[in-house]
Amino acid sequence: MLRRRVEAGRVRADVLLTLTQADLRARYGRGGFRLVKWLLDPFALLGIYLILVTFVLDRPGEAPGLSLACAIVPFQLVMSTVTNSTGAIQARESIILNMAFERTLIPAATVLTETFAFIASLSLIALTMVAYGVAPTVALLWYPLVFVVNVALAAAIAYPAALFGLWFRELRVFAISLVRAMFFLAPGLVPLSAASETAHDLLQLNPLTGLFEAYRDVFLFGQAPGAWDMLYPLGVAALLFALFVPVFRAEQSQFAKVIE
Amino acid sequence: MNAASVEVDGVGVRFLFDRYRRVVSPTIARLRRHVTETWGLEGVSFSVGPGEGVALIGPSGSGKTTLLRLLAGVLTPDAGRLTVRGQVGSLLSVNAGLLPMLTGRENAELLGVLGGLRREQTRARLDAVRAESRLGDAFDRPVSAYSQGMRARVGFAVAEQLEPRILLLDEVHEALDHEFRNEVERRCEAILSAGGIVVAAGHDHPMLARLCSRALLMRGGKIAADGDFLSVQSEYVLDP
Repeated sequence: MLRRRVEAGRVRADVLLTLTQADLRARYGRGGFRLVKWLLDPFALLGIYLILVTFVLDRPGEAPGLSLACAIVPFQLVMSTVTNSTGAIQARESIILNMAFERTLIPAATVLTETFAFIASLSLIALTMVAYGVAPTVALLWYPLVFVVNVALAAAIAYPAALFGLWFRELRVFAISLVRAMFFLAPGLVPLSAASETAHDLLQLNPLTGLFEAYRDVFLFGQAPGAWDMLYPLGVAALLFALFVPVFRAEQSQFAKVIE
Repeated sequence: MNAASVEVDGVGVRFLFDRYRRVVSPTIARLRRHVTETWGLEGVSFSVGPGEGVALIGPSGSGKTTLLRLLAGVLTPDAGRLTVRGQVGSLLSVNAGLLPMLTGRENAELLGVLGGLRREQTRARLDAVRAESRLGDAFDRPVSAYSQGMRARVGFAVAEQLEPRILLLDEVHEALDHEFRNEVERRCEAILSAGGIVVAAGHDHPMLARLCSRALLMRGGKIAADGDFLSVQSEYVLDP
């Protein structure tokens, strides 16, 4: 019984890794340019705000460019996961129509693909730390935990995003815009401490808020992230998983009907 | 090894449409007010035993592809019972299951793992897939540059590596050139003589006749006739 479970787990891991590898090639190409694209992606996505805040607006506050990078980088993972997930099922149309396999691994592969790209985009934070002369502190030891929360939130959003892209394919662009709006409904451009009192409480309802603040704590302020900042996004992720993974599982047998 | 078999008992596949005639899933149908339904397959019953080749013939839209997708596990029945025993190899879409951005080799690796092989097993067999597909250097080029026939070659070579006891073919084999068709026929014969099953749909009746001794005539999602190939074919030709 246990041996069979272990074997089934290995097979699933194989499928997940192979889907991810194929996704990486299809989305990011091959060779050295892939790394360049990964490095440039966060700049292309929201880097313009980095230039705006740092150079054009010349905002006061502690290392405003690094503060912004601490929001752009985690958001990059969520955003690229949603973008990729909304078309993830259609992108695999030919295999979905040809053979049976566990389709619940498709969004998971999407997250894994974007996580590889995301790791490269961490260089944006390192670069801005150097630019502002912010030295790394012992608080960096908290980063693996923050990273897990970041990936968990992206993974949890991947399932509803994939279903939304399949069910409402004409609204895909709208969904992506909606997620982009979430960045501005969180303390992305400025830290939470700089928001007004009314906005402060409302912004905390956005799970991205805790994530951005946790990144700032670790990389900018050199302190441990707040428990709420970690637990709230994790709770939202758990809720999304609980709601949408069963729906995705039930829907997977319908993909071949709906996809054409 | 258990004998390959297919048991289809009163199987139906239902399609739900919204008011714009787009197919919707049952979850979305619950949220929409105007939903209509059509049964792509209805009350389909038959069984296939070891060593049997079965052709699905009938006009376009009669349910041949839906039935093959059901047998492949791509679709699940909305009514009735379906039992498929034996490793399935399938070539059911025009693209033969290949992703255009990947090379033939990368697709072969992906399809091998999705088909149930371990990664290291798949990698060990890639050179065999390359040789069997007879694509030469094109095997390492993106599939987007392949002709339909080249895609079918890779798809078939991968399906072969899965050592299927049940082979499902949906018109894809018709895109193949003469030489590779002979190869497909040889492989089908080998599967059948080893106690496997071949189910093939298409409009190339001479080829189907060589692969299959039995035929099912599909009309409107139902089986209109089931018998030896020549008699079912003549029924279809007389009243297409």
